[in-house]
Amino acid sequence: MNKKIIEIEDLVKRYPMGEAEFTALKRINLTFEKGEFAGFVGPSGSGKTTILNIIGSLDTPTEGRVSVEGEDVSHLSEKASARLRKEHIGFIFQSFNLLPVYTVFENVELSLLLLKQSAAARKKAVTQALEWVGLQDMARKKPPQLSGGESQRVAIARAIVKRPNIVLADEPTANLDAENAHIIMRTMQRLNEELKTTFIFATHDEKVMQYLKRKIHLLDGYVDKDEILESNTVES
Amino acid sequence: MIKFIFKGLIRDKSRSLLPILVIMIGVFLTVGMTGYIRGFIEDFVDQNARLQTGHVNVVTKAWAENESMMPLDLALLGVDTLLTELQTDFPGYRWSPRIRFGGMLDVPDENGESKKQGPVMGMAVDLLSGNTDEIDRLNLKTALASGHIPREPDEVMIGEELAKKLELKPGDKVTFIGSTMDGSLTFQNLVVSGTIRYGVRQMDNVVMLLDLRQARSILDMEDGATEILGYSKQGVYSDEEAGKVRDAFNAKWSGSEDDFVPVMRRLRDEPTLGYYFTYINSFSGMMIFILILIMSIVLWNAGLLGGLRRYNEFGIRLAMGEEKGHVYKMLLYEALFTGIIGSVVGTAFGVAFTLFLQYKGIDISGMIQGGTMIMPNVIRAKFSPDLLSIGFIPGVIAMLIGNMLSGIAIFKRETAKLIKELEI
Repeated sequence: MNKKIIEIEDLVKRYPMGEAEFTALKRINLTFEKGEFAGFVGPSGSGKTTILNIIGSLDTPTEGRVSVEGEDVSHLSEKASARLRKEHIGFIFQSFNLLPVYTVFENVELSLLLLKQSAAARKKAVTQALEWVGLQDMARKKPPQLSGGESQRVAIARAIVKRPNIVLADEPTANLDAENAHIIMRTMQRLNEELKTTFIFATHDEKVMQYLKRKIHLLDGYVDKDEILESNTVES
Repeated sequence: MIKFIFKGLIRDKSRSLLPILVIMIGVFLTVGMTGYIRGFIEDFVDQNARLQTGHVNVVTKAWAENESMMPLDLALLGVDTLLTELQTDFPGYRWSPRIRFGGMLDVPDENGESKKQGPVMGMAVDLLSGNTDEIDRLNLKTALASGHIPREPDEVMIGEELAKKLELKPGDKVTFIGSTMDGSLTFQNLVVSGTIRYGVRQMDNVVMLLDLRQARSILDMEDGATEILGYSKQGVYSDEEAGKVRDAFNAKWSGSEDDFVPVMRRLRDEPTLGYYFTYINSFSGMMIFILILIMSIVLWNAGLLGGLRRYNEFGIRLAMGEEKGHVYKMLLYEALFTGIIGSVVGTAFGVAFTLFLQYKGIDISGMIQGGTMIMPNVIRAKFSPDLLSIGFIPGVIAMLIGNMLSGIAIFKRETAKLIKELEI
């Protein structure tokens, strides 16, 4: 059995809405093992991004306990949360969010700079990450010179260059056409298999869903269904 | 990480060029204006000290109270004794008695009848004693426009403009008409030995310069002088030092109720000069403060705009695990870097401008026509080493303050909203 890297127990998240409260997550209980390729699926407002926020220690639970890499995120200081993200979690966003004044190499290198790695180690790791996503020839280009698909592959490289145990991806294919969406998903699928990195998605995109090995259906803040689809492999 | 940040700074012109330009202009104005004002003050002080007030001066109490009327009957007497005391008590100063007096010059025609007449302000200084330093102090050799410096007791020099007005040239005879110390009418035939041009309208239009002993004879004031001027041997006026000398001298005479008791005043005590000093110093300080304030506000706004433009960058850095404090610190490093660059360039331009004005000067004669102050016609800036820091430090501080204020937004950012914000 693989190591449990995320444990969610009785998670509740409420937001104030005027004088009332809105409950975004209602008593969620889940665990994720190392190397999973899972996704939260469901309609808008079902709580997908909220749970991703909490796993990524960007937000804290109102009730319950969420443990990521053995750290209870509900009691982490801002500094400790930042350290957890810096060392163990990679993020992939819908809008790529590359820094336009930096080259592809430098964009990917940023995660390692935050970890204070040596220049030689950074160079080796960035080169390898760019090879993983097939962009080794584009290291000196800047984001405005890249296509949408290439930009998202740089974002993947940036997320995995530090070899995190967890990568959180929020609607990673929303800004891509079908062809690029499949390329991106296959890239992440391959990295999941090769590096044993846990990928957790938040999506309502069918193209993403067909690659997931575990689909957690959220509906109005509840886990409606938790499907294990080990055989879910899409052929290119 | 710092190298990474600086790379971005250099490549992103809107992040570096605008702040650098703002700082550069602000620092340039601070340095340039300070140099200019300082030059103006120094010229102003020096000119007034040389021509009129000295660094300190001794007059009778009664003269001091009625100075504008130049009342000769209230002048100092027993000047030789007083001079000896001053030289003994204050060896750091050189002391020069002078007489200032009013009167009229009459220019005769070939028949000896009055051709032209004009008011003059007589200034009697030691010109003929052989060991005088007044010729150098008054820059007479430089100011000489025509003729020569008086060599004989009956020779006088007059201002260039006065000479033009009275149609006089060196060698012409004139008659001085005035009153003696005891109020009697006095006439004295004199010869114009030369004309002088100070570039100071108040001097060039009315002054008649003659030897002290000749003036004493004309005005019947043996061993008298309207004032004894003191000049620091270091050649530079210092308010503090002059104040100490003044206080020490006046303390010695403080018990006397006599109207003719000598009193010492420093240059700044002269009412109009004192006002100008205070005004100029306040203006200079205020200008630097306003520039810092304006630069800070502009840079704060530039920082806020930059913060908006870099909203995603800060967001992604926070999401990747950079601490808010670290993002803020890096922002301040950027500010320090751009502040230093802007300040260095601004200081360089400001110093260049100051040096240019130090040699070239600005002619303000048109603005001071008819004025009563002794002011130089050409104002020159003055470079001093502290100009290198006077704009530099405020420039860097303004940049830091601007970014410190705008950067506070980083701490207000909620990480819980990062993913949503970055989906834009």
